[in-house]
Amino acid sequence: MRILGIDLGSREVKVVLMEDEKIIKMFKVSTMSFYRDYCNFDGKIVVDLQKLSIKDVDIAISTGYGRNNTDLRKFEPINEIKAHVYGAIYQSGLKDFILLDVGGQDVKIVKVEKGIISDLELNDKCAASCGRYLENMANVLEVSLDELFKHYKDPVELNSTCAVFSESELIGKIAEGVNLESLCSSVNFSLYKRLKPLLTRFKGRKLVLSGGVARNSALIKYLSADYDEVISLDYPQFNGAIGCCYYGRIRSKKE
Amino acid sequence: MKTIGITTTVPIEVLLAAGYRVIDLNNLFITSEDYGKYIEIAERDGFPKSSCAWIKGIYGAVLENEITEVIGVIEGDCSNTKVLIEVLKQKGIKVYPFSYPHSHSLSDVKKAIKDFMSLFGVYETQVELIRKRLNDIRKIAKRIDELTYIEGKVNGFENHLYQVSLSDFNGNIDEFEEMLLKKLHEIEKRSPVMRKVRLGYIGVPPMTGDLYEFVEKFDSHIIYNEVQREFAFPRAENAKDIYEQYYDYTYPYDIGFRLEKIKEEIKKRKIDGIIHYTQAFCYRAIEDIIIKKELDVPVLNIEGDKLNHLDARTKFRIEAFLDMLSDLKGC
Repeated sequence: MRILGIDLGSREVKVVLMEDEKIIKMFKVSTMSFYRDYCNFDGKIVVDLQKLSIKDVDIAISTGYGRNNTDLRKFEPINEIKAHVYGAIYQSGLKDFILLDVGGQDVKIVKVEKGIISDLELNDKCAASCGRYLENMANVLEVSLDELFKHYKDPVELNSTCAVFSESELIGKIAEGVNLESLCSSVNFSLYKRLKPLLTRFKGRKLVLSGGVARNSALIKYLSADYDEVISLDYPQFNGAIGCCYYGRIRSKKE
Repeated sequence: MKTIGITTTVPIEVLLAAGYRVIDLNNLFITSEDYGKYIEIAERDGFPKSSCAWIKGIYGAVLENEITEVIGVIEGDCSNTKVLIEVLKQKGIKVYPFSYPHSHSLSDVKKAIKDFMSLFGVYETQVELIRKRLNDIRKIAKRIDELTYIEGKVNGFENHLYQVSLSDFNGNIDEFEEMLLKKLHEIEKRSPVMRKVRLGYIGVPPMTGDLYEFVEKFDSHIIYNEVQREFAFPRAENAKDIYEQYYDYTYPYDIGFRLEKIKEEIKKRKIDGIIHYTQAFCYRAIEDIIIKKELDVPVLNIEGDKLNHLDARTKFRIEAFLDMLSDLKGC
């Protein structure tokens, strides 16, 4: 049984192929390139699996932002929150946790109890607490994201509510002579401060991180003070696509 | 005929024996077009914004409907009632406290009901006659409940309504019996409607009555209403007297006793998941900790406050919960 899961994110499309409950293939394509180079439109979006070098798929499941964009021919679309929860269950083996998914352009927080969603909060109104904000700030500082993610010591306050105004605030701090490590810490800490109010309603013992920001070790450091355990998934960016495969597995078993 | 308001289910047999027409103030409040106005009246009179909407609604309903006598259940339901009846007393309303003993021992229950009978000057024999009469009506409600989970002929809201109404028999037992029988005959002729996900509803009856219809959009239905069913006393015919009947009643006693019965029903009705409703500012929200640990099926806790319909966020949460329950159940 080969199950294909595709997560159509705002910045990248993640593809995972699972065979007999094991991941045998996973890769990313930029969202623009995916629609332009690997899809055709024939009343519905048709994915060219041959171009993606994928064959013999028994079940195909898609997820992503907005059902219309994820409605691919021959794919069953599922709600992205559910996809991320299934991905986290598969990767962590846990059934009771809080899931924090910081994606390119949105943030989701989900409470999972007994393997079922019992509460959720989404922030899809403001970009100041998601991955794109970190990318922009790294560009201002002329450092890579990996470098940015390392620093957590001696942050200075960045108070802007807005992701764009934060850039000018950061430039001000550079002009004041704050060192680069502290500037990186400040960006990470400002992200933590924006996530915190969203997380206050989600008290729990275990926090599972997914999405590209789960690689941010500084953020993990800050969050560790609020939870007994902060768990980073092995493939945080592929979590939604993995969840699609896991869902496909459940569905095929029930059939 | 004198009218008396009740703040929750009480041994109504005693009040009927005393010649009262009984009105459940919760029903008077929540079924009114003016339900919001009742809350407003209470808040204008000084009830805090951060207090239970049921208490405020009851207060407004008493004043607006010129109810002159009220039974306040001060133990086993809601501790706010203690103060509610004091405020009502200050307004010139005649109030009587009633307590379901925390000990939940048969001798204490017996004493509480005996005191209640002497308060209204009625005898056990009179009360037992009324009890037998009411038990005939309780049997009809029980049958409607069975037609819900065995035959799929009753929807969740009807199941809620035709059991919760037995707290006061809509103020007229003969008319209520006639209405219930008519409903039963109509239901029996229906074709069954089977939905995929079988849900149980536990906790106090909801402010948000649209919950029942909302879950049906997701191929789910509520086939068990815990507290409403208790209000209808489905085990009344097994009780040898009024004392036993109100002893074998889960709602006002400890959570352990409630959970015993809930677990039985989950098994019997093949329930896939539970919606646990709690009212904002109510101590029962804390019971959710125990409930979630004790029950094997997934539990979703939703909270209502002043609105009589579900808000968008709660709808979103219910949808996500039912979506995953449906996956678990398969095709």
